Amino acid sequence: MDMQYKEGINGEVGIRSAGKGKVKRSDLFVRFLALVLTLAAAVVLGANNQSTTVSVKIVPSLPPVNLPVTAKWLYMSAFVYLVIANAIACFYATMSLVVTLAARGGKKNVTLIVTILDIVMVALLFSAMGAAGAVGLIGLKGNSHLQWGKVCNVFDKFCHQTAAAMILSFNGSICYLLLVVLATINVYKKF
Amino acid sequence: MASYDTTFSPAAAAEEPLKRSAPPPEYKGDCSPVVDVALRVLLFLTALVSIIVMVTSNQTKLIPLAPGLAIRLPAKFEHSPAFIYFVVALSVACLYSIITAVLSLLSAMKPSGCSAKMQFHFVMFDALLLGIVAAATGAAGGVAYIGFKGNSHTGWSKICNTYDSFCFHVAASILLSLISSITLLLLVWLSIYVLYKKTTRR
Repeated sequence: MDMQYKEGINGEVGIRSAGKGKVKRSDLFVRFLALVLTLAAAVVLGANNQSTTVSVKIVPSLPPVNLPVTAKWLYMSAFVYLVIANAIACFYATMSLVVTLAARGGKKNVTLIVTILDIVMVALLFSAMGAAGAVGLIGLKGNSHLQWGKVCNVFDKFCHQTAAAMILSFNGSICYLLLVVLATINVYKKF
Repeated sequence: MASYDTTFSPAAAAEEPLKRSAPPPEYKGDCSPVVDVALRVLLFLTALVSIIVMVTSNQTKLIPLAPGLAIRLPAKFEHSPAFIYFVVALSVACLYSIITAVLSLLSAMKPSGCSAKMQFHFVMFDALLLGIVAAATGAAGGVAYIGFKGNSHTGWSKICNTYDSFCFHVAASILLSLISSITLLLLVWLSIYVLYKKTTRR
């Protein structure tokens, strides 16, 4: 593996990376950031439930009745998908961090496999983000054509926490995209 | 091959005379342009058919509101912002696939073979487009799932029992966009694999 550095690109070995390994520090940092962000998104959405009361007038003559209503993340399949996708991404970030640190300066195939799986994570996280975003938008604004009423006027804390989780998940998916770009730049620099 | 020299550091300039005298012929078959163009054509076809199926999904049905009173209510894809985003994202993918298929074909016909710079750019833009198309698939899939099953907790009723042709169109469109996403994934894998192979060959 050392032969590649000595071939013709003299004087670049010292600048290339910290230590002998092919893995740059920025790659590890972004991977750790992706781990933190996806974990935070999964936790924030997983601990998301709100119970309030809604006053409903059943009979016009009687005073309005207070009905207890609950909103949980489990009630919406798109949010379940978002939590599961972020959990998978977090688990993968841990595994790939361990594998990248262990294989530092070793085989090249490890970086290739990790980059390939990074792209799968990008697709997974972006699709979960799209699903939760679409469903959240319906919950926020309703859909008059389909007779689906909005729910965020009642469950405001639930909606805010969901929005925070979606922002965290989006940042996590941008981190994974950045990892793919960094890996490609690292390979392209060797030309 | 001459285009590489301008991006190299001056330390590699000593190798220039060696490169110019013996252009390596094996690089031509190194980047598999046939698979690349075939995948881009597949991406174009699936995105185009998906858009057409989604846009022609309108259906109007007679909904009985009260006994003796029935009104005609249409179901169009424009009624949901998720479907509008779906159509926009897939048209972007369609246009992108045409441009990159032409670029890939043109660079494959050059005598020096395909360049690493192009593969590098393809990886970045393909990955970005993969994110956009995957988000569109997820958004349309999420809304379609609610329309299919309803959601008793929020009081959102299902619509697929009344608008069956509309739901069928939307489901077919989402399936095709899933194939588009997988095609984009394969394209990114191919470009990365080509870049890694070129590095190890040197």
